[in-house]
Formats: sequence, C-alpha cells, structure tokens
Amino acid sequence: MAEHTFYYDGSLCIACRSCQVACKQWNYLPGEKTEFFAKEGGYQNPSDLSPITWTLMKFHEQETQGEVEWLFRRHHCFHCTQAACIEVCPVEPKAMIRHPEFGTVHVDQNLCIGCGACVEACPYGVPHVNYELEKSRKCTGCYDRVANGMLPACAKTCPTKAIRYGDKGELYALAKQRVKELRQAGWPDANVYGPDQLDGLHSIYVLPVKLETYELPAKVEWEYGRLEPIKRKAQEKYAAVLRERGVGLASVAGGGISGALVASGVVAAGLKKLADRKAARAREEAEEQS
Amino acid sequence: MTNHWTDIANSDCIMIIGSNAAENHPLSFKWVMKAVEKGAKLINIDPRFTRTSSKADIYAPLRSGTDIAFIGGLIRHVVENELYHKDYILNYTDAAFIVDEKFDFSDGLFSGYDASKRKYDSAAGGWRYAFDTDGNPKRDPTMQDPRCVLQLLRKHYASYTPEKMSEVTGMPVEKFHEVANAFCATGTPEKSATIMYAMGTTQHTYGTQNVRSYAMLQLLLGNIGIAGGGINALRGESNVQGSTDYALLYHILPGYLKTPRASNTSLKAYLKKWTPKSLYGDKSANWWQHTPKYMVSLLKAYWGDRATKDNGFAYDYLPKLDEGTIYTHIGMFEAMDEDRIKGLFCFGQNPAVAGPNARKERRALGKLDWLVAVDLWQTDTMDFWKRPGVDPKTIDTEVFVLPAASSIEKEGSISNSGRWMQWRYKAVDPPGVAKSDLWIVDKLFLALRERYEQGDTFPEPIVNLHWNYGHEDEPDVHMVAKECNGYAMRDYEMKGKTIKKGEQIPSFAWLTDDGSTCSGNWLYCNSYTEAGNMAARRDDTDAANGIGLYPKWAWCWPVNRRIIYNRASVDTQGKPWNDKKWVIRWNESLKNGKGGWEGDVPDGGWAPDTKYAFIMKPTGHAQLFGYGRVDGPFPTHYEPVESPVKNAMYSQQNNPAIKLWASEMNELGTADKYPIVCTTYRVVEHWQAGQMTRNLTWVSELMPDMFIEMSRELGREKGIANGDRVKISTARGSIVAFAVVTPRFKPFKLNGKLVHQIGVPWHWGYSGIAVGDSANVLTPHVGDANTMIPEYKAFLCDVEKEV
Repeated sequence: MAEHTFYYDGSLCIACRSCQVACKQWNYLPGEKTEFFAKEGGYQNPSDLSPITWTLMKFHEQETQGEVEWLFRRHHCFHCTQAACIEVCPVEPKAMIRHPEFGTVHVDQNLCIGCGACVEACPYGVPHVNYELEKSRKCTGCYDRVANGMLPACAKTCPTKAIRYGDKGELYALAKQRVKELRQAGWPDANVYGPDQLDGLHSIYVLPVKLETYELPAKVEWEYGRLEPIKRKAQEKYAAVLRERGVGLASVAGGGISGALVASGVVAAGLKKLADRKAARAREEAEEQS
Repeated sequence: MTNHWTDIANSDCIMIIGSNAAENHPLSFKWVMKAVEKGAKLINIDPRFTRTSSKADIYAPLRSGTDIAFIGGLIRHVVENELYHKDYILNYTDAAFIVDEKFDFSDGLFSGYDASKRKYDSAAGGWRYAFDTDGNPKRDPTMQDPRCVLQLLRKHYASYTPEKMSEVTGMPVEKFHEVANAFCATGTPEKSATIMYAMGTTQHTYGTQNVRSYAMLQLLLGNIGIAGGGINALRGESNVQGSTDYALLYHILPGYLKTPRASNTSLKAYLKKWTPKSLYGDKSANWWQHTPKYMVSLLKAYWGDRATKDNGFAYDYLPKLDEGTIYTHIGMFEAMDEDRIKGLFCFGQNPAVAGPNARKERRALGKLDWLVAVDLWQTDTMDFWKRPGVDPKTIDTEVFVLPAASSIEKEGSISNSGRWMQWRYKAVDPPGVAKSDLWIVDKLFLALRERYEQGDTFPEPIVNLHWNYGHEDEPDVHMVAKECNGYAMRDYEMKGKTIKKGEQIPSFAWLTDDGSTCSGNWLYCNSYTEAGNMAARRDDTDAANGIGLYPKWAWCWPVNRRIIYNRASVDTQGKPWNDKKWVIRWNESLKNGKGGWEGDVPDGGWAPDTKYAFIMKPTGHAQLFGYGRVDGPFPTHYEPVESPVKNAMYSQQNNPAIKLWASEMNELGTADKYPIVCTTYRVVEHWQAGQMTRNLTWVSELMPDMFIEMSRELGREKGIANGDRVKISTARGSIVAFAVVTPRFKPFKLNGKLVHQIGVPWHWGYSGIAVGDSANVLTPHVGDANTMIPEYKAFLCDVEKEV
C-alpha cells in the first residue's frame, strides 16, 4: 500500500476546532482546565499541545495597510519522514515507530519509557510526556481508525474538508494544484508546506499567506550534532530503567532485540500496571463527563 | 430558507450579513467553500471581523443596526443603474402596480401615523394598491408611472446615496462600491446570488424590515426561486424551523395558520377574517384560499370525532388572543414580573441567561408559584433561586426539574433550516430517569385529563382532546407523525378517487373542510403517506437537473419542493432563465404530449403562464410594497432604541411603531453616559445559553471564560490591554469579562465623529463547569415592531478597566 498523508488547507479552514474536539473524543483525552488565553485575540486554547491535547488550532491576527487577516493553522504531529523522534528513541525495539503501511509515526505505549528524548528532539514541539504514566503522548495518525477503513477523527469531522487524509502522492499533487489556484485567486504568497521538509512530511499544509505568519520554520535541518547528545542521554535513562527492572546494561550495548526479549517478562508486569492505571483513568473520565 | 444548505454551492455570489455562519453554522461552510472553490465571490458584512470574514473576498464593516441604510444603498444602486432583472420584476413582482394616492412618506414617517397611539392606521394611510373597476390592482407595464411601486421605491431610496450610507453605517464608500459591483452584477439571468442571514439581522427594533430589505434586493435582481439564490435564514437550533412550523410562536397555529383573536368569535368569523380573496381571478393561485381546509383538518386532528360540523369543529375550544396583549417572550416576562403569571414550563430553555434584561427576568422567575424546567443539564434557570447575590430564603418559587433525553436518546424528526424533515433514530437509552419530551408531555396530559374529568371550569377542550399514541409507556412517535401528516376520518371521494377511513392523506391538495380529513399540520401533509415515512428516506440520487436537490433524501415541505418560488426560475413560457442551473422547466413532450414540469416539484403543476409565480400572495406577485407590516411598506432607516447618534436620514429617530415598556427595571441609556455601541453574539465553541456546552470539558477548555472584544483604539483610550478584566455597564446593569483587544474591531467614522463598538458573547451564566457573567444583564427589554424579537444586537454601554 502507498504511503498516506494528512492534508490541511488553511484557505478552507474556518477554525471551528471540531478537529480539536473530535481528537479528544476518539482518543479518550480529558479536557484541560484552561483559563482565558489572551494571546492574539484569545481564541487559541489550550495554549499549546500537551500530553492530553494532540491537535490544536493556532490563530494568527495581522493587519497590513488597514486590512485585517485572521489566519489559522491546525497544529499536530507532522509525521516526518526524517523523524528525529524515532532517531533519538532509546528503547529497543523503538517505542517511537513508523506505521509500516501508512508511514505515519506513533508511540507504542507498551514500550515507551517516557524518557522525553522525543520531546527534546522534535523540531515542532509535538510530543509531550505524561509523567504520571511515564509515556510520551502525541497524535497517532489515528492508525487504529485508518486500519479499519475509517478516516482519522479530525479529517472525518472537518466540515469544510480543510483537513483531508489519504494517498500521499495524490494529496501532494492536490496541494500543488490548490496553491496554483489560490495564487490566481488573489493569494500571491500561497505556498505548500511539508513536501520539502525532512524528506517530506506526512502532514502537509496549503497556506494562503507567507510561512513566517504561521511561526513555522522554512528550513528544518536534520542535525545529527543536535540529536546525538539527546540520544545518548536517553540511552542512559533507558539503561537505568532496565536496571530498575532487573535487566542488564548489556541489553542496550549488545543488540537490542535479544535484550528486549530478556526484558519482556518484566515489561509484561509493567504493562499490567499500566493497563490498571489506564482503566482507573477511563473511569475517572467517565465520571467527569457524566 | 427559500433554498436549502446544499444549494448554497450553486451560488455565484454569497453575501453573509447579520450572520457569522462560519462560527454559528459551521456546516454551512461546507457548501459556502464549495461555491468559493468554484469561483464564487464571498461577501461578509459585519461590525467586526469574524472567522466568517477571514474567508471572505470582500469584508465590509457596518455599525450594528444600520442594515437598512446599507441595503437601501444597494437598492438605490440597482434601481438607478437599472441593474434589476426587468422581465422578472415586471412579471413576478408588484413593481408595475399602482399604489393608492393617499400613500405617502415624509421625513421618516409613512402616511397614517397616530403619534398618540404610537401606531399606524394603514387603511387611513392608503397602504394598498389602486384598484381598477374589477377590483384588481392597476398596473403600468412600462413601470414609469410615478405612482407605480418601482418609481415609489426609487423615490424612497433616492436619499440612500453611498455617501449618506457611509455616514450612517460607517462603511467606507469604496467598500460599498466593491460590494455593490460584485453583488448587483447578479441581476442577469445567468448569475445567482444568495443572502445568508441570522440573528444579527432580526434582533433589532426593525428586524422584520431588515429581512424585508434583503428580500426586496433579491427580488429586484431576480434572485428568488433560482438555484444558488434566495434569502436564507440560518436557524439557530437544529429544529428551530420545525418548531416554528409547529407553532412555537404565539401568533400562529401549526402550518402558519393565524391564532384566533377574541374578535374571531366563531369558525365562520375566523375563516372570513383570515382567508384572503384572490385578485386577478383564476390567474392568481392565492394558495391561502385553502385556509378553511387546513383549519378544519387541524381541528379534526385536535378533537377527532368531537369536532363536528354542528359544533364548528370545536373551534370554541381553541384559546383566543386578546387584542393588544403581547404574548411574546418580553411580554410574558413583563407579565410575570407583574405577578400575572403563576407557573412556567421551560423546555430546553434557559431564559436566566438567554433572555434580554436578565436581571429583570431572573427577578420575574421569583414571582412564580412554580417553575418546571425540562433539560439535559442543571441550568441557570433551574438555579435562579440560588444565583449569586440572592438569598434563597427570599424566593418562594417551587422548582421542578425534569431530566430530558437528548436527540440521540429518542426517536423522531427534526426540520432543518432548509425545511428538510429528517427522521432520527434512538441510538442509546437516556441516562437515569431522563425521558423524551414526548413522554413528558404525554404523561402530563394524561394526568391533567384525569384531573379535569373530575370537573372544572370548561373542561371540554382537555377531556375531549383526541389523544391516541399507543399503549406503551413511551408514546408511539410514528403515530404522532402520521397524525401530523393527516389521515381520512371516514371514506371520502376526491378527484375520482376514494380514500378509505384511516388511510394517510397523500398531500394537502386532498384535505377537506367538511371533516373528512384530519391533519396536524397541513404543510407536512405528504410527509407520512401510505408509501411510508418520507422523512426516513436516505436515497442520495440527484434530480435530473443535477443541482443537488436530492429529492429522495428525507422530505421537505411543502410537498417535497426543495426550492420554493421556483416558478420564478423560468420565464413566462416555462423556459429556465439559466439553462446551466435550471430548477424546473416545462417539457412539451411529457404526459403524452400534454406537457409537464421536470426538475424540482414546481410551485403548482399548472402550465406556464396560466398562473402567476408567487402562489402564496393574493395577487400572485411578490411584494416590493409590503403593506402588511405594522411599521411601513418600505424598509426605512431608524436608529436602534439606544444609539450613539441622531438619525442622519430623518428627524424620526426610532421605529415609530415599537412598544416602549414603562414598567420598572426598563431603564434606557443615552450616549452622554454610555457612548459605546455594544452587540452580543455567539462563538462556535458554545451553544446558545450554554447549558449543553458549559457542562462539557471538551468544549469548555476551548472557551473557558466570558470575554469582551474591543478595538485597539478603544483599548488605548481606556488603558485596557489583552487579558485585562473589564467592567461593561449599561442602564440595566454591569458585568465583568476578560478583554480581547483586537484589530478585528475598528471604530466607525460617522460623519466625522468616531464611534466605538464592542461585542460580547452571551453564552455564560452561573451554573455549569465554565461559568461567567451573562451578557444579557446588559440588554434591554425592547423589541421589533412586528415580532417583538428583542433588540439584542445594538445598545449602548461604557467600559472601564476593573481595578
């Protein structure tokens, strides 16, 4: 199967934020206790992504020569091809994994140790560690829905089809076409974001105005120099976790797979604990909602 | 809506005015953006730059409450430049009709005004056409007669020049021209434009006239009845259209039949008063001539066999309106505050937050003996007796809370803005002891009947009520729907066909005034026939014209007609104005060469040119001259009751026909104390008075707190920055909110004078998980002259930084 991508067209988006709510609903993420957030018109809330907010509408107000523009950007994981988060993940096998069919990136919640390396490495500030669960949390690309023939929750709910999801080649082509149309329709600075970054993102944007408006980096460098120390520190943490679980350091140094196999019994016990905690949390959420 | 949601995609030009559709009707933007992607122009008129404006090709600001000055400017532009669709207005509107010589207009007042009563006498004022000897309106087909409607219209709007318009509205003249050029270019047969509007239009003391001004503009451009055209009211709840069709409002019975007045002392008198006579003989379909059939069928639905010819079909059982009493929301709360109402049922209503002059309405609730509140959540209205600042010991009202089932916890239908009746199924059981509204009403009625059977004053209307919805605990909603459609009360013959007793009536053309039929709502007759429940249909095949009518998807009133007034989409020979987006067309080869219509269900099946297009009007012509309104035949610019400026167009400041309440807590503010214009609105993240969203964490996190939006200029003037706490005061009260200081609001320049406007959302209250001050503490108890809808959208305030 061909790779997939998310697609977001800022010229169609009305910032209704139904994607934000649908994401929480599908993924059983609790609401955040927020306060009025006065940045740029006060509409952006929560203020940033978090362990329980995986997609977020960003608002940008600007005024040029008396004409106001109010621009929106759906912020979530870009599911990069050159994914720094995967590179630095110290767990073996990797807890940060690429879906073998769709090409999207998600965290294997069973394997993740919540070391935070992905948080530090991500150029877009996407993953966040839930320190209570000791797990990194972020957009999963709704691989659980997609694998069952459904659209991701955000794309399904979007009323204007500003968010789409599908074949990467097709949507990359659509983005190019759409930019051409927008430039003809009076948006001379319309541009595509994603195909040229990190070997091609699996979440691309059609943006009606210049990139700078959206506080997005045009160039995202793949810097081993920056990632190396993050990775090394994470590996030390992983080693410490394994020690805590009674597994030798050898599992890190000497070939991950056998090491992980050795650790599997211990991990299974940990998983049970996690499942119990998850169930308790789900109960709390249910109570909160009722 | 004259058209429907899907049809918006057919438009070449969309003007959204008095509506923030992207935020309050986000799904409408599915169709708006489809049109835009195909190259349609999107125009947005609003006092502030909204999420709707962010998608517009042209955004033009306008001070709250000045729609008529702006639309009047467009009408002038169309008439002076002859941009109207000439054949359309000549054949389908009253543009060529001659008006009675007594009719006049001078300095903001129409002829026939009685200042002592604050009322017009329309008969004395000559608000009618001039009639020929046959009793039909005189016409001048050249439309040059100075007394013809088109020329009177030209005269009325002659003073609405772009410069004057700008002086009143604050819209820059060049913006006006941009809008005028884009919108008024659709007066040609091959182009269509639509107007989407909502409460920003209606919630004014001249809200009805605001709507009329849009309709008139669209008629002039030939945009009514065609694909991608119309005037489209975006209803604020999923079933507001349905509840209006079913007589939510006091002045109508189901199907827009008039509520009897005390002076309509018998069925005969009622029918005589409210059944209009046809003008122009057979050529005018004058559809309301069928009023007797619809009324008698309704009475049969209410009282069944107890409604007989001998007892006037039990007409006497109907409650009658006292002349001069105002039964609207404001009128009801005024009466409550005067201790004249003892009990109140609130079904899914939260007036403690949603009603105007909320402090007064909360006080009025405390004068009730009992309040029954039916809702999904604990609402601010249920909690009014323990609201902040009130000692519960001082309130005697007994409050009963009935938990209700939500839309997915019961079966039934809703009717959306596009008049589509759509059947919904029950997905899950309601939680706890929550019950459907139908169950609640059923049990309440059965208990009342039992009580009245023991004897009371005039028990007949209740004990004789025809009430048969099955024998289960939950009433059979299908039996309700079938009764709404109507069925035969006995075997009867019509059009050579026998309909057996108990059979469903095929359509309202089969209803009778002799008691053979019942129908709970004639407009819905055809929705549940012998073929089954039409509203439950889910076949998405399009009609032959391919314009997205989807005639087999759900059902639409009347008789599944998806675009009403569609006889105006063709010329007098039945040929579509626009072949590419035709709605209906006459095809000679149909019906064995007799000819027939194809496409949408036509506004009557008669051959072309045998009937006039606007079949609901006695003359068969749409009215540019609206003599039926209480405040004048032509929309006229007046200032809101509270305004920062003098009316720049006339010495008459306000709508002269509005009611001003003299009772307590009805203070009005003036510009010297309250110089800033305030308006209220909603945000996409919350729903109405908030009971359905301020109790949910997922939406409360998006919009947790009450806020006020203001311009950077006003922020500087008042020393207020983003995120500050701000006190907003009016003559009714004051509230505190977080400040959003934004370039999306700009002060208006009115004839050189700088006027500020601010805005506040009205979702918040003291109950729920997201709480905040209620905007309606600020709003006044004044309403539209025709409908009494409150003037929520334009009033005066002052703001200061809270210390």
